[in-house]
Amino acid sequence: MDKSEYKKIIKSKKPKEDEFKNIIISFFVGGLCGIFGQALTDIFNKCFHFSINDSYMLTMVSLVLIGSVLTGLGFFDKVVSFCKCGLIVPTTGFAHAMTSAAMDTRNEGLVKGIGANIFKLTGSIILYGIVVAFFVSLIKVIIG
Amino acid sequence: MIYINAFVFCGLVCLLGQIILERTKLTPGHLNTILVVIGCVLAGCGLYNKFILWAGAGATVPITNFGSLLVSGALQGYYSEGFIGLLKGLLVNASAGLSATIIISFVVAIIFKSKN
Repeated sequence: MDKSEYKKIIKSKKPKEDEFKNIIISFFVGGLCGIFGQALTDIFNKCFHFSINDSYMLTMVSLVLIGSVLTGLGFFDKVVSFCKCGLIVPTTGFAHAMTSAAMDTRNEGLVKGIGANIFKLTGSIILYGIVVAFFVSLIKVIIG
Repeated sequence: MIYINAFVFCGLVCLLGQIILERTKLTPGHLNTILVVIGCVLAGCGLYNKFILWAGAGATVPITNFGSLLVSGALQGYYSEGFIGLLKGLLVNASAGLSATIIISFVVAIIFKSKN
């Protein structure tokens, strides 16, 4: 059996994931995350009288807290396998990536395990965020 | 009304992410990096603040907001202190989210045990 035949058989036996269904689910879950964030922002802004920017910041921190604790309890992967990108794109996904990297390596010690690996998955987000943000602002400042 | 805008905007960003994941071989790590870079560029064009005004938390919940916070911090630094402010201000606005994520992740990793 040559390789192309083999690939064909693999393709026909693979369970087909419904692409359209996944896209619709992630749209709705992501939208609900947005509504939840807006509700939290309104609570922080109107009930606790934080400024609007602080409310956005506190909403972000709350979502990080939710994502991290769900990861710690082991629920996050199960929820994501259903919700797909609806929970990866909001800040919960960022928190999940960092927390799971830290949890997987905690047995190797505080310095060589958690310390060395906590940025394993999120490092690229922080690195490219900072580098691109610096050059974008520099270009904007120079252009005017 | 802002709730509908938040639903639509945040949903569209997630939908875009899901399409990227389905059509290419990129991992969620690649996806989040791409979205942060897109957020930086949109903030550099001055568009992201308009999105936040239009969609409220719908625009601040996705990871693209991280890039926007970095750029807005750097620009605020520049307007108050000149070129040195670009470096001094880069992380100012994003600091809260980043610090909170690091601290919470560390504490959670210490408290909970991984099942694998």
